Amino acid sequence: MAEKEQEKPTVLLNLGDRVKIRHSGGLRGRIVELRGPLGPGGVQVYRVRVRRKPEPKYIELMEDQLELVAAKG
Amino acid sequence: MPSASLQHWVNDRVPRLTEIEAQCATSQALVPSNPRLREENLRGYIMLLSAHFQGFCRDLYTESAQITAFRVRATLRILIQAQFTAHRTLDHGNPNLQNLRKDFERFGFTLNLADADPGNPARLQHLAELNKWRNIAAHHGTVPPAGLPSLTDLHDWRNSCNGLAASLDGVMYNELRRILRRAPWVP
Repeated sequence: MAEKEQEKPTVLLNLGDRVKIRHSGGLRGRIVELRGPLGPGGVQVYRVRVRRKPEPKYIELMEDQLELVAAKG
Repeated sequence: MPSASLQHWVNDRVPRLTEIEAQCATSQALVPSNPRLREENLRGYIMLLSAHFQGFCRDLYTESAQITAFRVRATLRILIQAQFTAHRTLDHGNPNLQNLRKDFERFGFTLNLADADPGNPARLQHLAELNKWRNIAAHHGTVPPAGLPSLTDLHDWRNSCNGLAASLDGVMYNELRRILRRAPWVP
């Protein structure tokens, strides 16, 4: 049997991507840092900036909590 | 297997620092000597060592927070994650004992690194020295007449960071196991 190729960690989202945060009541944000496989079982974690007044808010979230928002146009 | 953060420290951060240390040693052995290059390499190494240790601590904090948040339902998870991310000292502050305590004690325990391992009191002294020199190097502060620390000093400080990283990883493993009633990662 052919040896299985070692699976590389998949980075689904990229720096600068606009995302919707699941289970947040419609919060949206932008990925500002790829934190790496720091979630349970090696899940990717992203630092997301959410626009808030007077200051933006940052949240570190796991990949399955984020949904890519398609660019307009 | 330790936390992903410690694995990254061992397999990525330490090899990078070892290469910088080798570069410092090479610049010190140059004939004719180049004191400016030697000094700049040492300053660079000091800042990188502090930055990588800060990076490890920040990673371990994030990993611990995500593992904790994962235990609650999805709608509540975001609230926990937002609370753990907000005002994290290690995002901006040096990885000194005070800042480590400020952040890691948000998990609801007293971080007593000095008692966590017999070697830690000496390691914490090295960490304090490293952070003091990190600020001098980063802000081009006044170097005392005795000069910059030696490469041997920096080597010792790196070993101390290594020991503290393993120790902090062990502390978080035990605390998270107590809080979550299960092993956070395979020890």
